[in-house]
Amino acid sequence: MLQRKGWKILLLVVFCAIFMVACSDDKKETNSSEGKGEKEPTTEKKEELVVAVNENFISMDPHNTGDTNSNSVQSAMLEGLLGFDDEGQIINVLAEDYSVSEDALVYTFKLHQGIKFHDGEDFNAEAVKVNFERIMKDKSLRLNSRGFSLIKKIETPSEYEIKITLKETYSPMLTRFGVAKIISPKSVKENPADIPKKPVGTGAYKFGEWVQGDHLTIERFDDYWGKGDRVKKITFKPVPESGSRVAMLKTGEAGVIYPVPSQNIAQVEGDKNIQVFKVPSTIAHYVSINTYKKPFNDPKVRQAFNYAVDKDAFIKVVNFGLGVPLDSIISSKTIYYKKQEAYAQNIEKAKQLLKEAGYPDGFETEIWGNTNSDTMKGMQFIQQQLKQIGVKVEIKSMEEGTLSDEIYGAQTPDDAKLQMWYVSWSSYASDVTNATKPLFHSESFPPNGANTAYYNNKEVDKWMDEANSISDKAKQEELYGKIQETVYKDAPWIFLGVDEIVYGVRSDVEGVVVEPTGGLDVKDANFK
Amino acid sequence: MLRYIIKRVLEILPIIFVVSILSFLFIHFIPGDPARLVAGKDATLQDVQNVREELGLNDPIWKQYISYMGNLLQGNLGTSLKTGLPVSDMFSSRFMPSIYLTFFAMIWATIIGLLIGAISAVFKNKWPDYLGMVTAVSGISLPGFWLGLLLIQLFSVQLGMLPTGGSEGFKSYILPSLTLGAGIMSMIARFTRSSLLETLQTDYIRTGRAKGLKESVVIIQHALRNSLIPVVTIAGLQFGFLLGGSVVVETVFSFPGMGRLLIDSIAFRDYPVIQSALLLFAIEFIIVNLVVDILYSVLNPKIQIQS
Repeated sequence: MLQRKGWKILLLVVFCAIFMVACSDDKKETNSSEGKGEKEPTTEKKEELVVAVNENFISMDPHNTGDTNSNSVQSAMLEGLLGFDDEGQIINVLAEDYSVSEDALVYTFKLHQGIKFHDGEDFNAEAVKVNFERIMKDKSLRLNSRGFSLIKKIETPSEYEIKITLKETYSPMLTRFGVAKIISPKSVKENPADIPKKPVGTGAYKFGEWVQGDHLTIERFDDYWGKGDRVKKITFKPVPESGSRVAMLKTGEAGVIYPVPSQNIAQVEGDKNIQVFKVPSTIAHYVSINTYKKPFNDPKVRQAFNYAVDKDAFIKVVNFGLGVPLDSIISSKTIYYKKQEAYAQNIEKAKQLLKEAGYPDGFETEIWGNTNSDTMKGMQFIQQQLKQIGVKVEIKSMEEGTLSDEIYGAQTPDDAKLQMWYVSWSSYASDVTNATKPLFHSESFPPNGANTAYYNNKEVDKWMDEANSISDKAKQEELYGKIQETVYKDAPWIFLGVDEIVYGVRSDVEGVVVEPTGGLDVKDANFK
Repeated sequence: MLRYIIKRVLEILPIIFVVSILSFLFIHFIPGDPARLVAGKDATLQDVQNVREELGLNDPIWKQYISYMGNLLQGNLGTSLKTGLPVSDMFSSRFMPSIYLTFFAMIWATIIGLLIGAISAVFKNKWPDYLGMVTAVSGISLPGFWLGLLLIQLFSVQLGMLPTGGSEGFKSYILPSLTLGAGIMSMIARFTRSSLLETLQTDYIRTGRAKGLKESVVIIQHALRNSLIPVVTIAGLQFGFLLGGSVVVETVFSFPGMGRLLIDSIAFRDYPVIQSALLLFAIEFIIVNLVVDILYSVLNPKIQIQS
């Protein structure tokens, strides 16, 4: 008897479990059934586009977003005074026009009229002011407060005009006005806790639903002020595994995948139903060399390193052939880019330079990097290339947090243990300041910035400061030209390559663009 | 029995307390500065310091612990450093899918594993045994990511029968739970086989056969039941581990589970999320252990529950 009872309990437990699971799933299934219709090709126009991306979305608060994928979703729902075109350069969006004073302190925007937020609120100067004040005052918005913390006053001379005065010049400010999307003043005042979860903007799409880690849906906003025809609904799905993402594109479960992993490009390129696009990015790969310490304080050694490395081979071996050599200190998509004469591989010249610097037999050094497999491959490549000129490189790969502690833990250049760092940098294509100042200005030595080369050139500092204090574009271009020339010659880095971004689209989908920063623009996406 | 359960549940509290201190110390002593990660790579020292102050990371560690525990006791898991969202929100969409997935995987793995194990033992060194053990060895040797991608290739890309991932509807649970359960099934099969073989050698089985019991009764009611103790132990342990999420399966099937959340949070030093996830896993493990202990006494009345 007792035995039987035991078994019954066990069975009961199992049945309860099955029942629980089965019940809860029924509910879910009804929700999703409409999306699954995609697999079978139908003659009717499809109403939902599925976009599979590589990472989870972090936050939908436009004033506190640092990751590309969250930005991509937001830019379909929310708009800023300014925005970015396909090349990453600044365009007017909610602002009809703008001007910057000569001293680069006063920014005046004339706003479009008759625009409404998704919740019916009016868009006007007051709404913009509420947004900017939120960014200035709310300390938890750490990522976007930069620039906005420098605002002295905000004036609204008329309902559709806004004037912003800065305490000091800050040339990335225009980019910041593009990044800082405007959300409904009502949501800022009444329900700020909901902003990271469901933002309310003026964009072509409004927020639908976000199941964290699973999907995020946006729906077409039919009263959108802008022009264009677009698909009714877009669902973004984080699909971290590359193979799974590619499978989704092949089956049609996804209409767009971003990025297409480089090792899978060949696999989808032959497929008639799939189009693969490659766009140059602003992501620059380099090895920063600690110029403060021996033997790297001699520019000849650093130039020798640059001559020793074959950049084309780097792109082929490490980047699956996706990219172009880095032939300046910034990517070719960055504003004011000026092409320099690249260091073509020349082993003899490299050896000669090392000899002149007093190291005819080379020396031993080490290179740091994170544990990412691409980084490992890159560091091994550098190790192999430098071996040709007698330099023995030891690879030290560290987990990201540890690495960051090792590098930024050094309070002065003398403390720094770093010799070489294999790393990458990217900034908005329209923001040359962030592509140079944190990396080459002597104020930016760690822990105050990312000048891990400890590059110290007073003249370059002066040019950067000057370019930052004016609004004259021609003069800025001239200054950044000089900066690029000088720094490239001084070679505080081994200049490697600039990435290309690859994304895949089903042939029946149009209107999907990827910007050089990596942002996916789907606001004009539609089925053909 | 009821008193025993209440006692065990009360025992959870001090364990949770110790776990909370250990995990708190562990995450604060590993290198890496969340303030710098939050502030971004182009942050100046001032930016980083502002963030550190804002997040309360400048306070002495005991003060941070007390404030964390204070919030926890009020049911507040805190706010993620990375997303700025409440930790409970981040858990809510991932917790139940993880539980379902674990249940599915365990249920099929246990049923099939027991079956294969029992058949193998009964037909020791005959072809059903070989077939069963080949299946079991394959199940445990196939790496999850490979098996997962293979299943996707077959059932999603070629046959178009099942979705490649997600957690919408019963269908999307099939492939992940097959992948997740494969290893467990093999383990259970092997344990059942060896344990059952051992039991079949014992005196009381011989007695059972001698007194003319049907072979099926001998095997199912006497032998199998008595060989289940080690199987339940191993299944319970695996169950506990699976509840913590499986990074591989979650990644391959883009499944919103707890495993990847924890890994991502560790990489970002997202203290509140790591802390709460570890606590949750500890609680889950304790509950599973409790269930295992109760099952012991159900299976073998000689194992007395002391209350």
